[in-house]
Amino acid sequence: MLTNDRIGGLLLLAFSVAYGLLTFDIPLLPFQAQAAFTARTMPEALSVLGIVLSLTMIIKPSSNARPEVAGFLWGRGAIICLVMVIYGLTVRPGGFLISTSLFLIAGILILGERRWWLVLVASVPVVVFFWILMTQLLGVFIEPWPEFLRG
Amino acid sequence: MDMINGILTGLGTALSPINLMMVTVGCFVGTFIGMLPGLGPISAIALMIPITYGFDPATGMILMAGVYYGAIFGGSTSSILINAPGVAGTVATAFDGYPMARSGQAGKALAIAAYSSFSGGTIAAVFLLVAAPSLAIVSLAFQSTDYFALMVLGLTAVAAFAGKGNIVKALVMTVLGLMISTVGTDQTQGVQRFTMGMIDLTDGISFLLLAMATFALSEALMQVLRPKSDADRKREMEAQKNLGSMKLTPEDKREMAPVIGRSSVLGFIIGVLPGAGATIASFLAYGMEQRIAGPVKGKLFGKGSVRGLSAPETANNAACSGSFVPLLTLGIPGSGTTAIMLGALISYGVQPGPRLFVDNPGVFWSVIISMYIGNVVLLILNLPLIPYIARILAIPGTVLIPMILFFSLIGVYFVSFNTFDIQLMVIFAIAAVGLRLLEFPMAPMLLGFILGGMMEENLRRALIINNDSWSFLWERPLTFSILIIAAAILFVPMLMPYISRLLKRRQEAAGEGG
Repeated sequence: MLTNDRIGGLLLLAFSVAYGLLTFDIPLLPFQAQAAFTARTMPEALSVLGIVLSLTMIIKPSSNARPEVAGFLWGRGAIICLVMVIYGLTVRPGGFLISTSLFLIAGILILGERRWWLVLVASVPVVVFFWILMTQLLGVFIEPWPEFLRG
Repeated sequence: MDMINGILTGLGTALSPINLMMVTVGCFVGTFIGMLPGLGPISAIALMIPITYGFDPATGMILMAGVYYGAIFGGSTSSILINAPGVAGTVATAFDGYPMARSGQAGKALAIAAYSSFSGGTIAAVFLLVAAPSLAIVSLAFQSTDYFALMVLGLTAVAAFAGKGNIVKALVMTVLGLMISTVGTDQTQGVQRFTMGMIDLTDGISFLLLAMATFALSEALMQVLRPKSDADRKREMEAQKNLGSMKLTPEDKREMAPVIGRSSVLGFIIGVLPGAGATIASFLAYGMEQRIAGPVKGKLFGKGSVRGLSAPETANNAACSGSFVPLLTLGIPGSGTTAIMLGALISYGVQPGPRLFVDNPGVFWSVIISMYIGNVVLLILNLPLIPYIARILAIPGTVLIPMILFFSLIGVYFVSFNTFDIQLMVIFAIAAVGLRLLEFPMAPMLLGFILGGMMEENLRRALIINNDSWSFLWERPLTFSILIIAAAILFVPMLMPYISRLLKRRQEAAGEGG
């Protein structure tokens, strides 16, 4: 039966195996071959430990609990993640003020808010206030405008 | 004499106008964030770190200590008002706080929580004042081998306690955190590990990124996936409207006094133990008081008992102070929250540990003193303002969640100004959501990540000192003793069911034979 422990165990087993395989890519200098501790020692020990522990979870799960995901809004979650990725890609070329305001507006709308006054009040003024706080009070420079408007 | 000088230095630093302002701001911000269901001290502190980067280390730590206390108090408030603990440490608070609030005594419940937290924090701050320097002096004799063993102890203890009975799951998460810590350039040999040729990974993954992604961001994503019902929202609106009187009767005070005394001592001791922390302290204090209360008063537990509310609140605050002992004296965090503070200290260029007491007495003492000031601020400023602060519960999730997402993403971006970090955060947050759904604890992973680099470094150093021989693990008595304790913490709970089954079978056999 696919319990929480078994699903997690399988995922972490795959991760530990991949991690273990990647340890072979860590370069070692010739004189380190016989050393008791090299850059590979800890990763090798961890991958073995990870494999043993995840196999333990698969073979002997502690409970039969299964993931409770009924009623989850997966589509909405995926869109929010996509918006975060887009924000990451646009925050520099688009400038802080515009890209962050659009990110907040999009986030609020995706979560179901339809009162436009609230959408606007909770986005643009917050972003402008935060920008002033960071640049004027804390001395952190953040490029406010998009690339095409910069001098 | 040194201690008195240290206290005076600490007082001088902590009472400077800027630091007083910081502790006040920290308490307020912490209370706000801690009140939001799901967001606890770890998220609150993580959100503050980018802002504190330009600060003096003492000021930064004072702000974070304020945020820590504020977040615990905020968690208690949401536990009492809407039965939604912000953090595990305030779950026990809801047992009696929420029934009290439902019977129209929300104000009184909040006052009991505030006075108990204040008293617990104050008593524990005095203990900390005495315990921390003594332990710091002793720990000056510690060697790399002992530090390695202490880190193993810290990790196993966190795995044992945070796993909520499932040690293997928590251990896997610890190993995962240790694995993530190996990404980047190896500290000693300068070779790249697991970077897959990506230049953005050369410096490794920042602890702030991991903390924000696995706590604040993943919690916000969970709330996106699992929206609140209309009934929940209505309950939150109602709770913050009518709090009732905040006055305590002399009888309430008489009932609270002995509870506060006992729970403070218990909370502090539990807090000092690596891995245990506020959650276990609050549950133990609750259980202890229920037993002491006797059959009549014991029956009131769970129905709005003054003792039942006071005990966990006192113990969790005392444990918060206690958890600073291993952080400040050994440089080893005992909980997820102190782990994130350790990361912050390192980023300020301050190395916690026994040398902190010698090299940076200003930071050492001012953090201790500011904890007490934080408690005073919570009592005299936050408590009267709770009716107003509680209005945050009325902010719709549709606005609040995008704000949390924004502050999490931008907090990490402002440290590195590398947009790759935002993409990496989203990946980690999605993975964390998956692991949360499968009921894997996050705190052991964060602690493993933070201790990973130090653990490897101390092990490497120990091997160099011992001519590449692993014999130090059993030949040095202190190292060996610490490792034995770690093994006991790990294996005794695992073996207990088998031992008790064996004993039961023997008893049955003896009964049949007799």
